[in-house]
Amino acid sequence: MSLSLLGQSLVLLALVCCAIGAPVGFLAGARRSPQGLEWTRRLALAFAFAMALANLVMEYALLKHDFSVSYVASVGSKETPTIITIVSLWSSLEGSILFWGLVLGLFTAAVAILQRRGHEDYLAYTLATMLSVGIFFSYLIAGPANPFAPTPPPIPLNGPGPNPLLQNHILMIVHPPMLYLGYVGMTVPFAMSVAALLRGNLGATWLRPLRNWLLVPTGFLTAGIMLGGWWSYEVLGWGGYWAWDPVENASFLPWLTAIAAVHSALVMQRRGTLKGWTVVLILITFLLTILGTFLTRSGVVNSVHSFTQSPIGPTFLVFLGICMVFSVILLALRIDTLAAEPADEAVFAREGAVLVNNLLFVALTFTVLVGTLYPILAEAVRGVKVSVGEPYFNRMAIPISLGILLLMGIGPALPWGRSSAELRQRALLRPIPAALVGLALTYAFGAREFMVLFVGALSGYTLWVTADQGLRPARARMKKGESAPAAATNAFLRAPRITGGFLVHFGVVMTFVAIAVSGSYQFTREGMVLPKGDSLKIGEYELFVDETAVDREPHRAVQKAVVRVTRDGKDLGILEPALNHYPTQSDPISTPSVRTTATHDLYLTLMSTRGDGAVGLRAIITPGVVWIWIGVLIMVFGTGVCLIRPSGARRRATAAEVESVGAAEAVG
Amino acid sequence: MNRNVLLVGAILTLPLILFLAIGLTKDPFTINSPLVGQPAPPFALMDLSGNTVSLEDLKGKPVVLNFWATWCVPCKAEHPILMRGARDYQGRVTFVGVIFQDDPMLIRRYVASAGAPGPTLIDDSSAVAIAYGVYGVPETYLIGADGVIAEKIIGPVNPNNFFDKIESLL
Repeated sequence: MSLSLLGQSLVLLALVCCAIGAPVGFLAGARRSPQGLEWTRRLALAFAFAMALANLVMEYALLKHDFSVSYVASVGSKETPTIITIVSLWSSLEGSILFWGLVLGLFTAAVAILQRRGHEDYLAYTLATMLSVGIFFSYLIAGPANPFAPTPPPIPLNGPGPNPLLQNHILMIVHPPMLYLGYVGMTVPFAMSVAALLRGNLGATWLRPLRNWLLVPTGFLTAGIMLGGWWSYEVLGWGGYWAWDPVENASFLPWLTAIAAVHSALVMQRRGTLKGWTVVLILITFLLTILGTFLTRSGVVNSVHSFTQSPIGPTFLVFLGICMVFSVILLALRIDTLAAEPADEAVFAREGAVLVNNLLFVALTFTVLVGTLYPILAEAVRGVKVSVGEPYFNRMAIPISLGILLLMGIGPALPWGRSSAELRQRALLRPIPAALVGLALTYAFGAREFMVLFVGALSGYTLWVTADQGLRPARARMKKGESAPAAATNAFLRAPRITGGFLVHFGVVMTFVAIAVSGSYQFTREGMVLPKGDSLKIGEYELFVDETAVDREPHRAVQKAVVRVTRDGKDLGILEPALNHYPTQSDPISTPSVRTTATHDLYLTLMSTRGDGAVGLRAIITPGVVWIWIGVLIMVFGTGVCLIRPSGARRRATAAEVESVGAAEAVG
Repeated sequence: MNRNVLLVGAILTLPLILFLAIGLTKDPFTINSPLVGQPAPPFALMDLSGNTVSLEDLKGKPVVLNFWATWCVPCKAEHPILMRGARDYQGRVTFVGVIFQDDPMLIRRYVASAGAPGPTLIDDSSAVAIAYGVYGVPETYLIGADGVIAEKIIGPVNPNNFFDKIESLL
């Protein structure tokens, strides 16, 4: 049996599992049939298994260089290093959709296994919804984007290899899977919300798993976006990490609404309010992942790194339309069964701040969405091509982001629920000295731009509140006589998500400051430098070119300059910026070389080489870049900490949640 | 049935789907330029030192009109090619840069460090960009000595054929 046929059979098997599992699941949900649920679970596991096998077959075909499989013929090449061959599964459209199927299968199986107990009320509907999404993706893999299609004869002896940009850096191996885990993972909270709407009730056995299943993909998406920015910084050679490109925006949009949803779910858990709002945010998050995928895969927008135009656009649009119409109708029919909100709500309270913060997130989402879609709208309406540049996004996004940073300080400082005006005033005024310290520190470090000073002050305020609130449970225990280490450990184990949440906020502040500083104080020098001759000076650095060399590798030629970096005459080592020439690519692709220190990066790109041996160098000094990556890693780590189960407190937590949610429902 | 939710949902989603469907029928990479073969739209803009430069003044020699911005990555990539063109064709072809949606401060800083192939003009209200139908940056218009647009290049100029194209203007 040829690999092509084997792969296609497995994909068809996955499609059949979904096509049977989805209606069975919906029926089982409607009839509350345990037997039906059991069958849905089996079919969900079978779907995951078939998808996993199909992906293994593709990997096998790639590694065997079996060019009779069309996808291998389009991205494989015998010269490509093995590791790159493995990851070329997601380097092009058809393979990436197959990989999507794998991730969806894994998430479906994880829900079927992990939520087996305690979530029975919703599980059949949840799995049925996930399998319905599975129908679409299996169909896409089986038909319009079939990676297993046999190559029409003659079968080539070698292929072109994957997109050169993907062969350039180790980050490309981890960035796409992270994004997919985040993107596809958003199907789980979506399916859970659909289940809750169909069931017409949001109980504690729904909320706790939802919170976790929302945090997992959000964490992956955070990591994926950061790795994408980092990759673009390390590989694309322009010295920046974010360009508001449609593909970047596509990953940014669901991330924003997911974060809003995480916070409103928190309010729902604590206060029993914002139920409808949380569900709406989750539905939007999922729709945005599908919209984003449509935008980047259909060729409808012109982006630096969009996939080539493909026939899946119309199919994807139909799916997007069905999802949107389904979500709107389901919401219209069922939202009144959930929105049993307690009437007397405090506005000047933590939940009020979260709501305002949510609105800012939605405003930012809307702004970025409009900017991304505007070129399409303008062309449809007026028939003219326009583009929306980076200035639009920056002008709109910066004030909203600063508002979010401010509310990150105000929100946690305020108590939950009703409180006296005096208490609130004290809570809000207490961090002011920290804001002044933040301002003074930023000033002392030489910042004079208003924006940076402002971020410094806001960060001081928010950091103080974050530390104060994060340490509060431990302090309460110390007052009761526990020793400091014991209090800290016990407080952490009792409620890891408090620590996790404030860790995330700490990471966010760090990232904010680093972005503000790196965006405001970057500077560039360019020049032609002769080897063993003159030098290029930038800041305190002086750059000499020792030699130029060309390394011939099987799949490319690397032309590099060996640049000696010195500061005050002291030799700091070598940087090797390079230009990569791929036989399949007309323009060379530049690989920058970066010297990272705690305070700033020295970023070198090789621009050109001249007949007399002189090389064109561009040197960029950007302060604080490394803290962006560290800040985001802290955010991801904090998200992981939030997922730790509170120790020995399972019964107690469940009881408390049942009580709080139940009480809220009783009020309604 | 909550009619408000239905109404808001329909207002938000249905037009979006419609627009995307229309967008799908267009190719983002083909950009009609009805201007090719037509006289170049006239302009008079200030350069970085405050002198007014108009297309009328430049007549008699071919003009390479390049729309760019400092926030545009491909623009920086094509910058050395334009610089080389300006050096190689000095006195025979005029290179003009028009800034597209950018801060003059950043432009000054960039030009001070990287140089400019010719006058750098500030198009504050994007009036000239609109007149030329600029879709995104970089875009480059090759204008013959007679003031007629010979070609529009979308995206960064390609060093493999850019100089041939200039030759054909002479």
